[in-house]
Amino acid sequence: MSALSPAWADSFERLAGALPVAEQRERRARFDSFVATGFPGPADEAWHYTDLAAQADAGYRLAHFDEADDALLAATLPGSDRLVYKNGGLDRRHSTVETLDGTAAIRSTGEDGIDALNAAFATRGLVYTLAANTVAERPLQVLLQSDTGDSPAMLHQRHRISLGANAEATVLLQFVGRGGPRLLTHVIDVSLAAGAKLNLHRLSDEGDGATLVTRLDARLARDARLQVSGVSLGAGLARHRADLVIEGPGAEVHATSLQVPGAKAHADDLVRVVHAAPQGLSRIVARGIVDERAKAIFNGRVVVRPGAQKTDSEQRLAHLLLSRKAEVNAKPDLEIHADDVKCAHGATVGQLDAVALAYLRSRGIPLAEARALLLRAFATETLERLAWPALQAQIAARLDLPAADPELDEVSGDAA
Amino acid sequence: MLLEITNLHARVDEKEILKGLNLSIRPGEVHAIMGPNGAGKSTLSNVIAGREGYEVTDGSIRFLGRDLLALDPEVRACEGIFLGFQYPVEIPGVSNMTLLKAAVNARRKHSGENEIAPNDFLTWVREQAKKVRIDPKMLSRGVNEGFSGGEKKRNEILQMLVLQPTLMILDETDSGLDIDALKIVSDGINALRGPARSTVLVTHYQRLLDYVQPDFVHVLARGRIVRSGGPELARELEEKGYGWLEAA
Repeated sequence: MSALSPAWADSFERLAGALPVAEQRERRARFDSFVATGFPGPADEAWHYTDLAAQADAGYRLAHFDEADDALLAATLPGSDRLVYKNGGLDRRHSTVETLDGTAAIRSTGEDGIDALNAAFATRGLVYTLAANTVAERPLQVLLQSDTGDSPAMLHQRHRISLGANAEATVLLQFVGRGGPRLLTHVIDVSLAAGAKLNLHRLSDEGDGATLVTRLDARLARDARLQVSGVSLGAGLARHRADLVIEGPGAEVHATSLQVPGAKAHADDLVRVVHAAPQGLSRIVARGIVDERAKAIFNGRVVVRPGAQKTDSEQRLAHLLLSRKAEVNAKPDLEIHADDVKCAHGATVGQLDAVALAYLRSRGIPLAEARALLLRAFATETLERLAWPALQAQIAARLDLPAADPELDEVSGDAA
Repeated sequence: MLLEITNLHARVDEKEILKGLNLSIRPGEVHAIMGPNGAGKSTLSNVIAGREGYEVTDGSIRFLGRDLLALDPEVRACEGIFLGFQYPVEIPGVSNMTLLKAAVNARRKHSGENEIAPNDFLTWVREQAKKVRIDPKMLSRGVNEGFSGGEKKRNEILQMLVLQPTLMILDETDSGLDIDALKIVSDGINALRGPARSTVLVTHYQRLLDYVQPDFVHVLARGRIVRSGGPELARELEEKGYGWLEAA
């Protein structure tokens, strides 16, 4: 671990000085833990391909939200509620559901250096609680923007989503930003009571200079269903970790990930599903399109605890490596401590299907368009999980992929 | 001349397959190319279509007066060349409709026309699909995805009907077809026959030629055309096999 620069203590004292004494004490314990642990690096197995050691002396200062500068950095989605943050501060003007802004309690999870850092510095964030048997009327778009100027800046937020029994909601956490070097950490704590259904989307599309680290901790009670659909685009470094724990029998986790890191970007996803109760189901589907000098890491890990019989788990990882200088590390892991389970996994890394490409060209379709059609097809399984057609279209356009043409397919079916 | 092949030499993976092939096709003609396995029939089809991996080492191909070998495969298609594949590929995630629409519009763009109106496109495709008895529902599936062997071949003919090429090259489109499917495929080919459009049928068997009457039959052996004649040559081959020609 490299020594932390004094800037960290300085930032912390400034933040702590403004807090009530009791909270200061708790935060200080977390800060001390961060100082003792430091940033994770390759020695930590969960961080094998992503080295944050250089963050230690980057000289970050806490970012501030200037209400006068509230330009939105991403499109708003139609038919949705909105909660908008910039530099960790609530943008009231663009938020439609301010009441969902709050302080999420710190739970003592994981505790690597980043967790401790986030706990020490975290500001307010989404606190979304749905009572039992409530179905959210509209999906929620949470815009988490960084807009930090040239000097090194950081922001840390905590979020909590908690659904009562049989409650249902759809939430998008959207990370977007611009500026100089910046460190952004977000911890998202999710709990689903029996039969609750959460469709949680995560879209990260940060600009150059960003180091974005998120951690999702979710616990599922009996028959709950969690769908996590992650999309990683853009520049900089993005690390997304999800720990999804099936605590009640019959619960289901569906995790999809689409990684298309930009030219020199680094996308690292770790999805860990723990089956701690019987009859659980988990599906992990990852797709990556990795070009130029980009790097994608996907680690899917399924743990079946003793007694989690009749677990049904499957993970399928596939990456396209489109350049000799690009890099993919995809690894499905299984750890099984029960005997009556069905667990499948597979991972492929390859290139675009040359035969399919030749076929499309032989029908007159130009090479670039043929490639885009095949890339779109490759990403479809993960894109189609996104609940907003507008979001699917936005991502397709962002990646220069053809938009889906549902009319074409619908009408072709009508004629029969 | 619609197609003029002169002294064509081509190789695949360093192996010379075509060794000085000559072939001239006038507008409106149907030519059947027959010959033993490994003679170079598929290589000829693929070289005309511009498939990657086929290297032309000598000779020329002119299509409507243009140097075909200088064109990318997609440009050749837009100029009116259609290759019906022996083994049509499955492309999950790209629907048949998407392929057809992209192909139609690529061709229109190439000739300076606007994109086709969605309704005109759908009406046109449905009309053609009926001719080859393909349920339009199948067209919203991935290209050839889950299609039987016969359905794949009919789908090739559908694409051809939709695109209305000037030169149709059918590479063993008849192989693996039962008699009903062969009839449907032949009807599709015959429907496109006309004074400005030519056809090359690459086949092993006389059977297809009973349904699509060729004007000329050529025997391709050892990388060149060793014999040409009328429809009667196909019947002769059916009786005698290729041995007598290869020995010659």
